[in-house]
Amino acid sequence: MEAILYICLGLMLIFGVMAVMFHSMTKSAIALAAASATLGIIMYELGSIWSALFEVSVCSGLVTVIFISAISLSNAEKKEVEKVYADKKRMALLPAILIISGVVLVIAAMSAGVSLPPANPAVKAANDLREILWNNRQADIWGQIIVMITGSVAVVVLFKERDQI
Amino acid sequence: MNPFALENMMLITGFLLIIAGCYCLIRTYHMIKITIGIEVAMKAVTLFITLAGYVNGKIDLAQTFVITSIVMEVVVTVVAAGITINLYKKYGSMDIRNLRKLKG
Repeated sequence: MEAILYICLGLMLIFGVMAVMFHSMTKSAIALAAASATLGIIMYELGSIWSALFEVSVCSGLVTVIFISAISLSNAEKKEVEKVYADKKRMALLPAILIISGVVLVIAAMSAGVSLPPANPAVKAANDLREILWNNRQADIWGQIIVMITGSVAVVVLFKERDQI
Repeated sequence: MNPFALENMMLITGFLLIIAGCYCLIRTYHMIKITIGIEVAMKAVTLFITLAGYVNGKIDLAQTFVITSIVMEVVVTVVAAGITINLYKKYGSMDIRNLRKLKG
């Protein structure tokens, strides 16, 4: 199990960096979907099954569809992006920054002795997810409903015809 | 201590993803790219929440927070996509510097 998690962590980082570095927006959106899918695998392996399902279906599926729809509707070609950003190497420093940051983080963790405690499988939550979601965290549900309504209203306002404003 | 233990590696990966997302926010002016940068940073946040639940043994509680953060993520993406399309319709470009020209 640990080997899968290490591989997925590496893949997630690579896909995340690819999503940031690609010039083509479609390729970036697909790399982001791949990063979400690997995060879903990590969550599933850690026992977070329902949120892994949401991550894969919503973040890897719906969000990618939204991005590709936005790219298609705006008809933004790669050349248009390149025209606006003549500096094609604007992201070239990112891999070096990430390698340096990773080394610094590992050295800092080793020198300061900072380490997360290992997971204790014996201490499992007694409550079911549904029970926690509907009974303990009911305020979150209301918050989610309000945010979704706000988003819907925002989209309606954004796509209102000009003469109706 | 072992810095290459699974929990520590997850923490370091999350920090690196946040750095990548923030670097994207700093270095680009393209609206869709900025949204992708926010999404990449949000992946790290989701990873952190899951890690916290895994370490504490309260993975079910962590799942509720992850579901909430996913809902927020989607709404942010949808609104940003709407703004992107309108920006392109108005200016023919997705450069966010055009947003400064808006009045009202």
